[in-house]
Amino acid sequence: MPGRHVLITGTSRGIGEALAEHHLAAGDCVVGCGRSKSALTHERYLHFQIDVTDAAAVQAMFRDLKKRTKTLDVLINNAGVASMNAVALTPVDTARRVMETNFIAAFSFTREAVRMMRGSAAARIVNLSTVAVPLRLEGEAVYAASKSALETFTRVAARELAPFGITCNAVGPCPIKTKLTAGVPDDKIQRIIDQQAVRRWAVPADVVNVIEFFLRPESSMITGQVVYLGGVS
Amino acid sequence: MSLAPGNSNRSIDITDDAIREVVLEAMRNANEARDAASQLAIAADAPIFGPDSPLDSLGLVGLLMDIEEGLQGIGCDVVLSDERAVSQKRSPFRSVQSLVAYVGAIARE
Repeated sequence: MPGRHVLITGTSRGIGEALAEHHLAAGDCVVGCGRSKSALTHERYLHFQIDVTDAAAVQAMFRDLKKRTKTLDVLINNAGVASMNAVALTPVDTARRVMETNFIAAFSFTREAVRMMRGSAAARIVNLSTVAVPLRLEGEAVYAASKSALETFTRVAARELAPFGITCNAVGPCPIKTKLTAGVPDDKIQRIIDQQAVRRWAVPADVVNVIEFFLRPESSMITGQVVYLGGVS
Repeated sequence: MSLAPGNSNRSIDITDDAIREVVLEAMRNANEARDAASQLAIAADAPIFGPDSPLDSLGLVGLLMDIEEGLQGIGCDVVLSDERAVSQKRSPFRSVQSLVAYVGAIARE
């Protein structure tokens, strides 16, 4: 179903950049955003350089977007930050920043996007969670808690948005080589991978695959679901 | 390229008449998706939400989104369903009249 209008947060690097490239290759119009400029240059790509936690900037972005297109088909809440630290040593400001980026920003994008999605024939919201939620990883309490909030939000939003024809699902990747995991020690990553059924690193294409399943028009009955990679449950 | 910039259409003076027209237009649009037995009355003193209206809470959410969008179109950027609206003893969403008064009040703050 090419030609969709797809909004992806956090497209400056990592999974978000890979998602943007995938949708551009599929013939979609892609709107991306992030704190940095994007290396992507494509006639169907539009980048907003904003901080996703800045509510006023997000609203201004949507105001601009509404002047360009009436309809949005897909929102992928990908932007995220990690914080690997012991509970007793994590600064409160860090916890607040992680929650703002991983949960509040996803909420504010969803809030604005649903208004533009009601005209879509197959409106889809996909949130990026993590296997850190079901694995209850030590040292990732704040990060996992923020994604846990996002998962609950996904399940409740799925119920509220179903009458508008919008599905809302989440995908929880296991470790992928991105900037987010670059600072995590190898032995810690290995301990996560050892808990997976499929014991290897994932790649962005694994995330794309799950998201494409959620986005298919035939997936209109699939909502409120969280799919983890690597056989984690 | 379908993401080219369009033109904004902002108005500066917000009158009660302009707000009322946005509210009624959103109600007319809502009626297009409603069956004949559950049509909303379109009038300046019509009920919106409550025992005298066929609108359920989900319908109210959709209607308020349309009204917010319509108000943005006339240069009035307001959030209708915040704590103030919910905490009022009498809901501002009960009628066209009360909603127009509520929007007017927060728009002029």
